[in-house]
Amino acid sequence: MEQKAVSILKTALRNPPLLTLLLVALVWLAASLTLRGFGAYGHLRYLLELSAVIGIVAAGQTLVILMGGIDLSVGAIITVTAILLPLLSPSADPTGLSGLAIALAIATGIGFLNGAGAAYLRVPPIIMTLAMATFLQGLLVIVAGGSAVSVTNAAVLWLGQARPLGVPSGVMLWIAVSAVVLVIIHRTPLGARLLALGANPLASRLSGINVTRSMLVLYAMSGFFAGLAGILILGMNRQGYVGIGEPYLLTSIAAVVLGGTSILGGRGTYAGTIPGAILLVTTTALITVVNASPGWRSIMFGSLILALLLISGREGRR
Amino acid sequence: MMKTLPLLEARQVFKGFFGNPVLKGVDIALEPGRVHALLGENGAGKSTLINLLSGALRPDSGEIRVDGVPVSRFHPAAARAAGIAVVQQELSLTAELSIAENIGLGAFPRRFGLIDYAALSARASEVCELVGLTESLCTPVGDLSLGRRQMVEIAKALFRKPRVLILDEPTSSLSAHEAGILSRLIERLRGAGIALLYISHRLNEVQALCSHVTVLKDGVVTADQPLAGIDAQGLVRLMVGRDAGDLFPAWELPRRGEELIRLRGFSSGLARDVDFSASAGEIVGIGGLVGQGQEDFLLGLYGAMGSSAREAVIAGRSGPLKSVEAANAAGLAYVPADRKREGLVLPHSIASNLLLPSLGRIAKLGLRDRGAERNLVARLVKRLRIKGETSRPVQALSGGNQQKVALAKWLPLAPSVLLLNDPTRGVDIETKREIYLMLKSFAREGTLIILLSSDTPELVHLCDRVTVFGEGRAVATLPRELISEEAIVGAAMGINPKGSAP
Amino acid sequence: MNIAFLSRQNLFFSVQRRRNRGLNGLYIVVGLFLLAYAMLFPGLLGISGFSKFTQNWFPLALVTMAQALLMLNGGISLAIGPLVSLGAVIAATTMGGPLGPIGGLLAVAASGLLVGALIGVIVAQLRLPAIIVTLAGSFIIGGIALIILPRPGGFIPDWLSNLLAGNGPVAFGLLVLLLVCWKLFLATPLGLGIYAVGDNPVGAFRSGVPVDRVRVTAFALSGLLTALVGLFVAAQTGSGDPVIGTPFTLNSIAGAVLGGVGFLGGKGTMRGAICGSLLLSVMINVMFFLGFSPVTQYVAQGLIILAAVAIPELTSQWSRKP
Repeated sequence: MEQKAVSILKTALRNPPLLTLLLVALVWLAASLTLRGFGAYGHLRYLLELSAVIGIVAAGQTLVILMGGIDLSVGAIITVTAILLPLLSPSADPTGLSGLAIALAIATGIGFLNGAGAAYLRVPPIIMTLAMATFLQGLLVIVAGGSAVSVTNAAVLWLGQARPLGVPSGVMLWIAVSAVVLVIIHRTPLGARLLALGANPLASRLSGINVTRSMLVLYAMSGFFAGLAGILILGMNRQGYVGIGEPYLLTSIAAVVLGGTSILGGRGTYAGTIPGAILLVTTTALITVVNASPGWRSIMFGSLILALLLISGREGRR
Repeated sequence: MMKTLPLLEARQVFKGFFGNPVLKGVDIALEPGRVHALLGENGAGKSTLINLLSGALRPDSGEIRVDGVPVSRFHPAAARAAGIAVVQQELSLTAELSIAENIGLGAFPRRFGLIDYAALSARASEVCELVGLTESLCTPVGDLSLGRRQMVEIAKALFRKPRVLILDEPTSSLSAHEAGILSRLIERLRGAGIALLYISHRLNEVQALCSHVTVLKDGVVTADQPLAGIDAQGLVRLMVGRDAGDLFPAWELPRRGEELIRLRGFSSGLARDVDFSASAGEIVGIGGLVGQGQEDFLLGLYGAMGSSAREAVIAGRSGPLKSVEAANAAGLAYVPADRKREGLVLPHSIASNLLLPSLGRIAKLGLRDRGAERNLVARLVKRLRIKGETSRPVQALSGGNQQKVALAKWLPLAPSVLLLNDPTRGVDIETKREIYLMLKSFAREGTLIILLSSDTPELVHLCDRVTVFGEGRAVATLPRELISEEAIVGAAMGINPKGSAP
Repeated sequence: MNIAFLSRQNLFFSVQRRRNRGLNGLYIVVGLFLLAYAMLFPGLLGISGFSKFTQNWFPLALVTMAQALLMLNGGISLAIGPLVSLGAVIAATTMGGPLGPIGGLLAVAASGLLVGALIGVIVAQLRLPAIIVTLAGSFIIGGIALIILPRPGGFIPDWLSNLLAGNGPVAFGLLVLLLVCWKLFLATPLGLGIYAVGDNPVGAFRSGVPVDRVRVTAFALSGLLTALVGLFVAAQTGSGDPVIGTPFTLNSIAGAVLGGVGFLGGKGTMRGAICGSLLLSVMINVMFFLGFSPVTQYVAQGLIILAAVAIPELTSQWSRKP
């Protein structure tokens, strides 16, 4: 019996997604037993709703990181969609779906530009996406001028507020996104190619993988998912403002790494990012419960990420 | 005759990894003033033995002796202090630093805690002269060709004034000229009383330089004897454990098919203004000194490097290929020389490496077909006799098996043109022979094989024609009846052989 | 001059000259920008104008050096900004206390060294990627800064503010001093080890370079420089602010990249990084004085960084083609 438990633990230690999932279960169990109200259905549902946003941003981030890149513009793309969508939604369309489509097209286009810069200009992705974020920041100041914009788009509000069958529609969206991304990574040629690209770009290119096209597609996808998350956030908040997307940049990267995906690319899966996002939201919630000062909260958050990394994110020598 | 005391010695060393024994009671003794050859196939335990002798690994049991005294806790620093220097296959240089700084790295002469550049300059130019490096000492190593870097690596080892020098495949990227300098240098060092250990897959070098040989097979010493009186056949027998037969398959008249490649004035990278043509079923060799544009020629053909041509017909398409994808679609495949960096995705499994080029072809409705993939992998593994569980990372395989994977992955595409860049570099004899036989059978089936090789005997025995490169141009094309080692080397050195049409 | 004469025979100086290779374009661009700036604002040529200009540049130059030091070594830090803030609040809270200004300076330096060394130990010994460790570290360091001084305040002696950020070119003098120190450091075996470990860690280890010690040293020195920037910034503003360092993280990377320092380690030079930071500083100043709106400033800055990275890459690609 004891041996069996040990062997399960050993398997988990070698399987980062499972390990992260176990950690989430452990934290939820411990918190439900010790904190009043934590284990209530409403609270857990709320945590999942928050995780859905991070999970969707991190979906694109996972794909890009697996390929050996990184997208530092997701925060800015979220802000762009959250601010532009209310302004661009045609009032003639009562469903609001056309506004949704326009916003997603813009987000995807921005991602595509990231990919084009990285692929054609050979700018390192970290710089390309950073420069893109700087551009967008400037752009937003012209468009929004610093004030918040409220949303009336029906589709967006439904996405952010509705709970068909008691499940928040944001969580449903996340489940759909997860299914799509997992299929892409594990069941399509593109998934196998992006993992190969992340582990050895040169050998992949010489094996006939079109690096340029892969980059364009994946950065566009990252832009698309960031835009989707931006719409969800807008629906949950009912208004968009400059800076609304900023917190999601670092958390999306942290969720990916906590899920056991190598930051250097070539190894990992979205199956780890999912519990990674939940773990991140849960720990943040717990830190808020402790009622500490902002400084202490920040320290606890950083130390937790570091501690979790020690368990799951070890890398070989570079 | 008085028996000389060995400078460095391993006695009954055992070493295993993860319960897998690699060395099973190995003895070796390096004596001053002797060039000692270490032979063995890949996976025989040579690298492990070198790592034990240089302190990078510690034996599970047995002892390492320096000057006859057993050392208990041997580590790299202790080995360096004892005057043991190793020139590994993987270079230990820093591209941005100068030749002199690289040579002194880790052993800088100091004054007041700072590097004494005057002393460094004096001592570095001494060792550079020994290895024939004429470049300015302040040249960044990144500006040098691979062969010159190898010489810097050797100079770096000499800088530490070693008493024991271990050379692991030192000539694999050297030109004939540089290899000549190296062999004269080895003679000199031996005369100066240094103990040398020489590892190479090139038996003619071993026979020319070494006087004593230790042969490893599966972690056991099968021979430890003077080299005098053993011929190449005998050496191979010792390594393989049975009669080797002929390394090269017999040459046969090619059945020439349609012309697949016709180039006029083809340029790409270092390769300039090359005229070249080849037909289905041929094996065409590409030779010459290292770094004369041969590799760029192959990469340009393959669409991996920008190229231009006055006239180009490649596998039925006119004009140079613009991308690797286009080349694959036209039926070209390329097996690179540096399989670890360019050929394989090392941390990924054997299966994913084998599938990489054909992922798109065996997908159904955009999704991967697991069953078909499994069948394909099983077929390839069986056909090329690749050893090992296919879910294991390819980096766990020996060099020879890795090379088979790098070659096998192209077979599902049934390429009509196979471009090979030094396919047997660092590959053991048994695998070499398997690869040669495979190439022959591909050619028989009508594949055009273009074989770039730094191993001249390979070109001599396998090829129907050899095009020799010099300074980026195709300086000579030798027909079958004129191919010989002398003719290839001569053409590379600019001596025009009789009857050759450039 | 003397140096030019020596360089013909002396290895050290010819190596130094070689390091300018590929930087001439950058030198020209920086020179042109400085020229344009001097023509727009002739005050630059006076003592006080020069002092003010170098005071604006000084913190950027130091954080760029701190970042370049890590990037050359194959690392990177996303905690530069918070560490600047930490330096600032430690300076502002200790200088008025029993430690006095000298004690405060030592406290800032010690904390920078300590934090840097700690990050270095985690990266080198525990084999965690630097980008993630410093990302997590940025939260911790920022949190500590917030606890020490929750809102802007504290005390910096007036004489110190006047000395560092007054009308004398003290900042420039300090920068020159630092560059001399860097040159000396690079002439030690440990200093050259930074390059070797960044470019080829396995080879460096085999050559007898103490790889882990080099890594920790690089992080510690980088931390020291960064924390000292905090002290300077506190002296400039006359008080400590727990979030004042935030923009420095990205700017330090931008400066280093503009100066030609590569991401993968071992590629680039410190002199290039310094020029990169100068270029960035001049650009920000020029755009500010020309009355560019913040929007155009952002866009222009992004464009310039992109161009700085893309142009050398593209030209080398073209020149490689036949």
